[in-house]
Amino acid sequence: MGWLLITRFTIKEAIRRRLFLTMAILTLLMLVLFSLLIHEAIGRMQENNVANGMDPTLQTLYAGIAITILAMWLVYLIISTMTIFLTISMISGEIEAGTFAVIVPKPLRRAEIIFGKWLGYALILGAYTLLLSLAFMGIIYWFTGYWPTQAFAAIGMLEMSMLVLLGLITLGGAFVPTAANGVIAVMLFMGAFISSIVQFAIPGQDYTIQNITAVISLIMPTDAMWHGASFYLFPAAVGLLQGFTVSSVNTPFTATQPISPALLTWGVLYSLVLPLIAIVRFQRRDL
Amino acid sequence: MSKQEYINTGDIGTISTMRQEHHAERRGVPAVQVEHLRKAYGHLVAVNDVSFVMQRGEAFGFLGPNGAGKSTIVKILTGLVALTDGVVQVLEHPINHLDTRRRIGYLPELPNFHRWLRAQEFLQFHGRLYGLRGAPLQERCKELLELVGLAGCERQKLGTFSKGMLQRIGLAQALLNQPELLILDEPTSGLDPLGQRDMRNLILRLKTEGISIFLNSHQLGDVELICDRVAIIHHGQLLKIGPPATLFDEPLVLEVRVNAISADLLRRVGAVSLAVQRDEADPLRLLVEVQSDEQAADVAAAVHASGTRLFTLQPRRRTLEQLFLRTIESSQT
Repeated sequence: MGWLLITRFTIKEAIRRRLFLTMAILTLLMLVLFSLLIHEAIGRMQENNVANGMDPTLQTLYAGIAITILAMWLVYLIISTMTIFLTISMISGEIEAGTFAVIVPKPLRRAEIIFGKWLGYALILGAYTLLLSLAFMGIIYWFTGYWPTQAFAAIGMLEMSMLVLLGLITLGGAFVPTAANGVIAVMLFMGAFISSIVQFAIPGQDYTIQNITAVISLIMPTDAMWHGASFYLFPAAVGLLQGFTVSSVNTPFTATQPISPALLTWGVLYSLVLPLIAIVRFQRRDL
Repeated sequence: MSKQEYINTGDIGTISTMRQEHHAERRGVPAVQVEHLRKAYGHLVAVNDVSFVMQRGEAFGFLGPNGAGKSTIVKILTGLVALTDGVVQVLEHPINHLDTRRRIGYLPELPNFHRWLRAQEFLQFHGRLYGLRGAPLQERCKELLELVGLAGCERQKLGTFSKGMLQRIGLAQALLNQPELLILDEPTSGLDPLGQRDMRNLILRLKTEGISIFLNSHQLGDVELICDRVAIIHHGQLLKIGPPATLFDEPLVLEVRVNAISADLLRRVGAVSLAVQRDEADPLRLLVEVQSDEQAADVAAAVHASGTRLFTLQPRRRTLEQLFLRTIESSQT
């Protein structure tokens, strides 16, 4: 059960590191400021609605939907940033620091070290994703009364996005130095987001762009996972009932369709197979 | 210097009589067996056709200049680096055998540990990796912290430790499992002279307890004092191997100081020795090369026979360092 020891050790290490503490404090601060902001904004909006003879309840609900989308996109960005900064040195950093020199000769398999570290980070970041998502959605619900009917499906997609990024970083850590791994992770993450913007910015159906975007989604499925999450947060039907067009809710931040089963399967495989490749590589790597 | 800067070299109290007997029974059985070992990093050959056997209960020294391939061999023995070719058996098993690893302790050259851990947590974590749990683990950690002179530092973070303290806590983690084989890579580096002495004494004590010790060190004095046999490696190849005293086929040099040096004295002493030369630093001293200690009596008799008064007759022993350098130089030429 060496992997369990490594998992516990990884969780302890992550909690003890100042990065985690800083992020925890900033997260709390952000939630407080967000609460104050939404309280003020919704209060003023309701006053205006009453003054203009509009139904404040319905307008508040619409505002809740819009705020949920934006807030959860922020959650997606925070989780991704946290994943990159917290895990970027999980393998290569330990090799470079020489700290594996006293762990690897111990009676445990190298696969247990990588699996234990991966699991430790997956649990921490999974818990953080869940708590942060629930905190934001809870605040929005408190002030606007909007709670996505498929909230946990949306959180599940955000968890998948985190696991995809973690899988990529685990793989990179077994092959390249820490700095190179960080550059690769950030570039691919940003590249996936930019491809969404490009697809949105080009009017009409350009199959070449769609194909390029599809390839980018396969290389880095994080943005596809976010779109999957956004669908569950903002059901297109709500917008369409209000007379919006499909394109008005189909933006770089939102989606009108759920993620396809094929892409979801790809995301699951991606987040599991990449760490397995990392394990195979690490078993043969000279330290 | 505080009390904790010194290693307690008193009663080790870690190896039971049963264990000592067990170690004694295993003497003559190889602790490390290396046959035609080769390690290449791409086109660079770090270790080339190295073979040696280290017996149980033996203290085996590994010497060589930087880049000789010593650390690569240590890393192969500890499973950090995979061999390219050859056979390596540690405690009669391949190094990837997990139960064998449970019986090995290893102190790496650079004590790079997780700096956020406290000393007690560090030992507990590594103890658990060895399979220790609960009260025995707590007791073992306490024992070892006392043994390496870090008692009272349990709650201190490793990030605040000096290099010497890190070296000591590193040694403590290597002893957690009461190892049958202890692999030490430069154990005295970073220690002050007093710390070096204490570490040396501790290793000697571990040796007397029957632990097999593989010592990779630049401190030739340590190797000479601790090791039963020494191997010299250079450019990835083993140059010499044997006990320090007999490793180098060097004639014994006697310093002979007399009241006057005459032609008759030189002739008589020359007849019973390999070579005689005057010492440039002292006009009344001769340097006489003989094959063995027994010939010293013949030299003394020759001095008396020449009617010369003998003031001193003493062996001038070359240090291992001098012999090591000579061996390396001769291999280069």
